[in-house]
Amino acid sequence: MAHDKDKLAVGGVLDKISPVVAALGAILTTLGFILAFTTAGVVIGASVDGVELIGDEMISNQLLFSQKIFYFHMPCGAASMIILAFTAYYGIRYLTTRDYRYDIRARIATEIGAVLVICTMLSGMMWERFEWGVWWTWEPRLTTYFILTMLVIAYFILRTAIDDPERRAVFSSVFGIILFVDVPICFMVTRLVPSSIHPTIFRTDSGLSPDMLVPLLLVMFGMFCVAYGLFRTRLRGEMLAQRLEAMKQAVDE
Amino acid sequence: MNSVLEQIYSTILPSAPYVIAAYALIWAAMLVYVVYITVHLKKTEAQMAVLEEMFAQRQVDVTESIKKKD
Repeated sequence: MAHDKDKLAVGGVLDKISPVVAALGAILTTLGFILAFTTAGVVIGASVDGVELIGDEMISNQLLFSQKIFYFHMPCGAASMIILAFTAYYGIRYLTTRDYRYDIRARIATEIGAVLVICTMLSGMMWERFEWGVWWTWEPRLTTYFILTMLVIAYFILRTAIDDPERRAVFSSVFGIILFVDVPICFMVTRLVPSSIHPTIFRTDSGLSPDMLVPLLLVMFGMFCVAYGLFRTRLRGEMLAQRLEAMKQAVDE
Repeated sequence: MNSVLEQIYSTILPSAPYVIAAYALIWAAMLVYVVYITVHLKKTEAQMAVLEEMFAQRQVDVTESIKKKD
Protein backbone atom coordinates (compact mmCIF):
# COMPACT_ATOMS: atom_id res chain seq x y z
CA MET A 1 0.00 0.00 0.00
CA ALA A 2 2.88 2.39 0.82
CA HIS A 3 4.38 1.56 -2.58
CA ASP A 4 0.98 2.28 -4.22
CA LYS A 5 0.84 5.63 -2.41
CA ASP A 6 4.29 6.55 -3.73
CA LYS A 7 3.23 5.67 -7.29
CA LEU A 8 0.20 7.91 -7.03
CA ALA A 9 1.96 10.87 -5.43
CA VAL A 10 2.33 14.02 -7.51
CA GLY A 11 5.46 16.12 -7.63
CA GLY A 12 7.78 13.20 -8.39
CA VAL A 13 9.75 12.33 -11.51
CA LEU A 14 6.63 12.03 -13.67
CA ASP A 15 5.79 15.66 -12.89
CA LYS A 16 9.35 16.93 -13.10
CA ILE A 17 9.66 15.68 -16.68
CA SER A 18 6.19 16.82 -17.73
CA PRO A 19 7.16 20.38 -18.81
CA VAL A 20 10.04 18.94 -20.84
CA VAL A 21 7.78 16.32 -22.43
CA ALA A 22 5.12 18.95 -23.18
CA ALA A 23 7.74 21.23 -24.77
CA LEU A 24 9.05 18.28 -26.79
CA GLY A 25 5.48 17.62 -27.91
CA ALA A 26 5.09 21.22 -29.03
CA ILE A 27 8.38 21.04 -30.96
CA LEU A 28 7.55 17.70 -32.61
CA THR A 29 4.07 18.81 -33.67
CA THR A 30 5.43 22.08 -35.04
CA LEU A 31 8.17 20.26 -36.93
CA GLY A 32 5.65 17.77 -38.27
CA PHE A 33 3.39 20.63 -39.35
CA ILE A 34 6.25 22.32 -41.21
CA LEU A 35 7.33 19.10 -42.92
CA ALA A 36 3.71 18.27 -43.83
CA PHE A 37 3.44 21.51 -45.79
CA THR A 38 6.97 21.56 -47.23
CA THR A 39 8.58 18.19 -47.87
CA ALA A 40 5.55 15.87 -47.79
CA GLY A 41 4.28 15.04 -51.23
CA VAL A 42 0.83 16.08 -52.35
CA VAL A 43 -1.74 13.35 -52.85
CA ILE A 44 -3.17 13.07 -56.35
CA GLY A 45 -6.86 13.03 -57.15
CA ALA A 46 -8.95 12.78 -60.29
CA SER A 47 -7.16 12.68 -63.61
CA VAL A 48 -7.00 15.77 -65.81
CA ASP A 49 -7.04 16.26 -69.58
CA GLY A 50 -3.29 16.23 -70.13
CA VAL A 51 0.10 15.89 -68.51
CA GLU A 52 2.43 18.54 -67.12
CA LEU A 53 5.96 18.42 -65.79
CA ILE A 54 5.95 19.78 -62.21
CA GLY A 55 9.29 19.59 -60.46
CA ASP A 56 10.73 16.33 -61.74
CA GLU A 57 7.45 14.45 -62.06
CA MET A 58 4.89 14.11 -64.83
CA ILE A 59 1.55 14.98 -63.25
CA SER A 60 -1.75 14.07 -64.88
CA ASN A 61 -4.04 14.34 -61.82
CA GLN A 62 -5.45 17.01 -59.56
CA LEU A 63 -3.27 17.80 -56.53
CA LEU A 64 -5.26 17.41 -53.30
CA PHE A 65 -4.26 20.06 -50.78
CA SER A 66 -7.07 19.09 -48.39
CA GLN A 67 -5.19 15.86 -47.60
CA LYS A 68 -2.82 17.97 -45.47
CA ILE A 69 -5.51 17.86 -42.75
CA PHE A 70 -4.59 14.18 -42.34
CA TYR A 71 -1.28 15.02 -40.63
CA PHE A 72 -3.10 16.27 -37.53
CA HIS A 73 -6.45 14.55 -37.93
CA MET A 74 -5.04 11.04 -37.61
CA PRO A 75 -2.64 11.75 -34.70
CA CYS A 76 -5.51 13.39 -32.76
CA GLY A 77 -7.60 10.28 -33.35
CA ALA A 78 -4.79 7.94 -32.35
CA ALA A 79 -3.97 9.98 -29.22
CA SER A 80 -7.64 10.01 -28.21
CA MET A 81 -7.78 6.22 -28.38
CA ILE A 82 -4.58 5.82 -26.36
CA ILE A 83 -5.71 8.19 -23.63
CA LEU A 84 -9.13 6.54 -23.39
CA ALA A 85 -7.25 3.30 -22.77
CA PHE A 86 -5.91 5.01 -19.66
CA THR A 87 -9.48 5.87 -18.65
CA ALA A 88 -10.26 2.16 -18.66
CA TYR A 89 -6.99 1.28 -16.91
CA TYR A 90 -7.57 3.77 -14.10
CA GLY A 91 -11.17 2.60 -13.87
CA ILE A 92 -10.02 -0.98 -13.32
CA ARG A 93 -7.45 0.18 -10.76
CA TYR A 94 -10.11 2.11 -8.86
CA LEU A 95 -12.44 -0.88 -8.79
CA THR A 96 -9.67 -3.12 -7.42
CA THR A 97 -8.20 -0.66 -4.88
CA ARG A 98 -11.04 1.86 -4.18
CA ASP A 99 -8.35 4.55 -4.06
CA TYR A 100 -10.04 7.83 -5.11
CA ARG A 101 -6.84 9.03 -6.77
CA TYR A 102 -7.39 6.52 -9.58
CA ASP A 103 -10.86 7.96 -10.11
CA ILE A 104 -9.35 11.44 -10.44
CA ARG A 105 -6.87 10.14 -12.99
CA ALA A 106 -9.63 8.41 -14.95
CA ARG A 107 -11.66 11.61 -15.06
CA ILE A 108 -8.71 13.69 -16.24
CA ALA A 109 -7.79 11.12 -18.89
CA THR A 110 -11.37 11.26 -20.17
CA GLU A 111 -11.25 15.08 -20.22
CA ILE A 112 -8.17 15.05 -22.40
CA GLY A 113 -9.70 12.26 -24.46
CA ALA A 114 -12.74 14.50 -24.99
CA VAL A 115 -10.54 17.36 -26.21
CA LEU A 116 -8.76 15.06 -28.66
CA VAL A 117 -12.05 13.54 -29.81
CA ILE A 118 -13.36 17.04 -30.53
CA CYS A 119 -10.17 17.88 -32.46
CA THR A 120 -10.52 14.69 -34.50
CA MET A 121 -14.19 15.25 -35.27
CA LEU A 122 -13.78 18.91 -36.24
CA SER A 123 -10.78 18.32 -38.50
CA GLY A 124 -12.46 15.29 -40.07
CA MET A 125 -15.61 17.27 -40.77
CA MET A 126 -13.60 20.03 -42.47
CA TRP A 127 -11.87 17.45 -44.65
CA GLU A 128 -15.05 15.61 -45.51
CA ARG A 129 -16.96 18.82 -46.25
CA PHE A 130 -14.47 19.76 -48.92
CA GLU A 131 -13.81 16.31 -50.37
CA TRP A 132 -17.31 14.89 -50.32
CA GLY A 133 -19.47 18.00 -50.09
CA VAL A 134 -21.17 16.86 -46.88
CA TRP A 135 -20.43 17.50 -43.20
CA TRP A 136 -21.15 13.89 -42.23
CA THR A 137 -21.69 10.40 -43.61
CA TRP A 138 -22.55 7.20 -41.77
CA GLU A 139 -19.37 5.48 -42.84
CA PRO A 140 -18.16 2.63 -40.51
CA ARG A 141 -15.32 4.44 -38.77
CA LEU A 142 -17.20 7.72 -38.55
CA THR A 143 -20.16 5.90 -37.02
CA THR A 144 -18.08 4.03 -34.43
CA TYR A 145 -16.14 7.19 -33.61
CA PHE A 146 -19.42 9.09 -33.23
CA ILE A 147 -20.53 6.43 -30.77
CA LEU A 148 -17.25 6.96 -28.91
CA THR A 149 -17.92 10.71 -28.81
CA MET A 150 -21.38 10.12 -27.36
CA LEU A 151 -19.93 7.73 -24.75
CA VAL A 152 -17.34 10.32 -23.70
CA ILE A 153 -20.08 12.94 -23.29
CA ALA A 154 -22.23 10.43 -21.40
CA TYR A 155 -19.31 9.76 -19.02
CA PHE A 156 -19.39 13.36 -17.85
CA ILE A 157 -23.18 13.45 -17.67
CA LEU A 158 -23.04 10.33 -15.49
CA ARG A 159 -20.47 11.89 -13.16
CA THR A 160 -22.56 15.04 -12.81
CA ALA A 161 -25.71 13.03 -12.08
CA ILE A 162 -24.33 11.18 -9.03
CA ASP A 163 -23.69 13.08 -5.80
CA ASP A 164 -22.18 10.35 -3.65
CA PRO A 165 -18.41 10.33 -4.39
CA GLU A 166 -17.93 6.59 -3.99
CA ARG A 167 -20.94 5.63 -6.10
CA ARG A 168 -19.88 8.18 -8.70
CA ALA A 169 -16.40 6.70 -8.83
CA VAL A 170 -17.69 3.12 -9.15
CA PHE A 171 -20.22 3.95 -11.85
CA SER A 172 -17.70 6.10 -13.73
CA SER A 173 -15.06 3.38 -13.58
CA VAL A 174 -17.44 0.81 -15.01
CA PHE A 175 -18.62 3.24 -17.68
CA GLY A 176 -15.02 4.10 -18.56
CA ILE A 177 -14.30 0.43 -19.19
CA ILE A 178 -17.42 0.10 -21.34
CA LEU A 179 -16.42 3.27 -23.22
CA PHE A 180 -13.06 1.71 -24.03
CA VAL A 181 -14.72 -1.32 -25.64
CA ASP A 182 -15.58 0.94 -28.59
CA VAL A 183 -11.94 1.93 -29.13
CA PRO A 184 -10.66 -1.32 -30.70
CA ILE A 185 -13.91 -1.57 -32.67
CA CYS A 186 -13.25 1.91 -34.02
CA PHE A 187 -9.68 0.97 -34.87
CA MET A 188 -10.44 -2.39 -36.47
CA VAL A 189 -13.64 -1.51 -38.32
CA THR A 190 -11.86 -0.24 -41.42
CA ARG A 191 -9.93 -3.50 -41.62
CA LEU A 192 -13.17 -5.48 -41.49
CA VAL A 193 -15.32 -3.14 -43.59
CA PRO A 194 -13.06 -1.43 -46.16
CA SER A 195 -13.80 2.22 -46.71
CA SER A 196 -12.52 4.73 -49.22
CA ILE A 197 -12.74 7.54 -46.65
CA HIS A 198 -10.57 5.75 -44.07
CA PRO A 199 -8.03 3.56 -45.80
CA THR A 200 -5.78 1.41 -43.61
CA ILE A 201 -2.57 3.38 -43.11
CA PHE A 202 -0.65 1.17 -40.75
CA ARG A 203 -0.14 -2.13 -42.46
CA THR A 204 2.88 -4.22 -43.45
CA ASP A 205 2.97 -2.66 -46.91
CA SER A 206 2.16 0.87 -45.76
CA GLY A 207 0.68 3.05 -48.43
CA LEU A 208 2.56 6.06 -47.07
CA SER A 209 5.84 7.17 -48.64
CA PRO A 210 8.64 8.20 -46.21
CA ASP A 211 8.11 11.90 -46.93
CA MET A 212 4.54 11.50 -45.65
CA LEU A 213 5.27 8.98 -42.91
CA VAL A 214 7.91 11.12 -41.18
CA PRO A 215 5.70 14.18 -40.55
CA LEU A 216 2.83 11.90 -39.52
CA LEU A 217 4.94 10.07 -36.94
CA LEU A 218 6.45 13.33 -35.66
CA VAL A 219 3.00 14.81 -35.09
CA MET A 220 1.71 11.57 -33.58
CA PHE A 221 4.48 11.31 -30.97
CA GLY A 222 4.26 15.04 -30.41
CA MET A 223 0.55 14.70 -29.72
CA PHE A 224 1.22 11.89 -27.23
CA CYS A 225 3.76 14.13 -25.47
CA VAL A 226 1.35 17.07 -25.38
CA ALA A 227 -1.37 14.82 -23.95
CA TYR A 228 1.05 13.63 -21.26
CA GLY A 229 1.96 17.21 -20.34
CA LEU A 230 -1.71 18.22 -20.15
CA PHE A 231 -2.52 15.16 -18.04
CA ARG A 232 0.19 15.77 -15.43
CA THR A 233 -0.56 19.51 -15.23
CA ARG A 234 -4.28 18.91 -14.80
CA LEU A 235 -3.58 16.18 -12.25
CA ARG A 236 -1.42 18.47 -10.14
CA GLY A 237 -4.14 21.10 -10.20
CA GLU A 238 -6.74 18.57 -9.19
CA MET A 239 -4.65 17.12 -6.34
CA LEU A 240 -4.07 20.68 -5.09
CA ALA A 241 -7.84 21.26 -5.14
CA GLN A 242 -8.33 18.03 -3.15
CA ARG A 243 -5.83 19.19 -0.55
CA LEU A 244 -7.60 22.53 -0.38
CA GLU A 245 -10.94 20.84 0.29
CA ALA A 246 -9.37 18.74 3.04
CA MET A 247 -7.88 21.86 4.64
CA LYS A 248 -11.23 23.69 4.43
CA GLN A 249 -12.93 20.77 6.18
CA ALA A 250 -10.25 20.78 8.87
CA VAL A 251 -10.82 24.52 9.39
CA ASP A 252 -14.60 24.02 9.64
CA GLU A 253 -14.11 21.31 12.23
CA MET B 1 -1.33 29.29 -66.73
CA ASN B 2 -2.38 26.71 -69.31
CA SER B 3 -5.62 24.76 -68.92
CA VAL B 4 -3.92 21.52 -67.78
CA LEU B 5 -2.07 23.27 -64.96
CA GLU B 6 -5.29 25.04 -64.03
CA GLN B 7 -7.01 21.67 -63.69
CA ILE B 8 -4.09 20.22 -61.70
CA TYR B 9 -4.17 23.09 -59.19
CA SER B 10 -7.95 23.58 -59.30
CA THR B 11 -8.66 22.18 -55.80
CA ILE B 12 -5.89 23.96 -53.94
CA LEU B 13 -7.41 27.41 -53.43
CA PRO B 14 -10.96 26.11 -52.78
CA SER B 15 -9.65 23.67 -50.17
CA ALA B 16 -7.40 26.19 -48.40
CA PRO B 17 -10.15 27.63 -46.13
CA TYR B 18 -11.04 24.12 -44.96
CA VAL B 19 -7.41 23.21 -44.27
CA ILE B 20 -6.90 26.47 -42.37
CA ALA B 21 -10.18 25.95 -40.47
CA ALA B 22 -9.22 22.38 -39.51
CA TYR B 23 -5.87 23.44 -38.05
CA ALA B 24 -7.35 26.53 -36.42
CA LEU B 25 -10.10 24.47 -34.75
CA ILE B 26 -7.58 21.92 -33.42
CA TRP B 27 -5.41 24.71 -32.09
CA ALA B 28 -8.43 26.52 -30.59
CA ALA B 29 -9.70 23.37 -28.84
CA MET B 30 -6.27 22.78 -27.30
CA LEU B 31 -6.01 26.43 -26.29
CA VAL B 32 -9.45 26.40 -24.63
CA TYR B 33 -8.42 23.38 -22.55
CA VAL B 34 -5.07 24.91 -21.59
CA VAL B 35 -6.86 28.13 -20.53
CA TYR B 36 -9.37 26.06 -18.53
CA ILE B 37 -6.54 24.23 -16.72
CA THR B 38 -4.72 27.49 -16.02
CA VAL B 39 -7.82 29.30 -14.71
CA HIS B 40 -8.69 26.31 -12.49
CA LEU B 41 -5.13 26.20 -11.12
CA LYS B 42 -5.05 29.95 -10.45
CA LYS B 43 -8.38 29.80 -8.58
CA THR B 44 -7.14 26.92 -6.44
CA GLU B 45 -3.87 28.69 -5.68
CA ALA B 46 -5.76 31.87 -4.71
CA GLN B 47 -8.03 29.91 -2.34
CA MET B 48 -4.97 28.16 -0.93
CA ALA B 49 -3.34 31.56 -0.26
CA VAL B 50 -6.49 32.78 1.55
CA LEU B 51 -6.55 29.63 3.67
CA GLU B 52 -2.87 29.93 4.53
CA GLU B 53 -3.40 33.54 5.54
CA MET B 54 -6.31 32.47 7.71
CA PHE B 55 -4.18 29.79 9.39
CA ALA B 56 -1.39 32.31 9.96
CA GLN B 57 -3.86 34.79 11.49
CA ARG B 58 -5.27 32.06 13.76
CA GLN B 59 -1.77 31.21 14.88
CA VAL B 60 -1.16 34.87 15.77
CA ASP B 61 -4.50 35.04 17.64
CA VAL B 62 -3.69 31.88 19.62
CA THR B 63 -0.22 33.19 20.51
CA GLU B 64 -1.65 36.54 21.65
CA SER B 65 -4.35 34.87 23.76
CA ILE B 66 -1.66 32.70 25.49
CA LYS B 67 0.43 35.83 26.18
CA LYS B 68 -2.61 37.60 27.65
CA LYS B 69 -3.28 34.66 30.00
CA ASP B 70 0.31 34.83 31.15
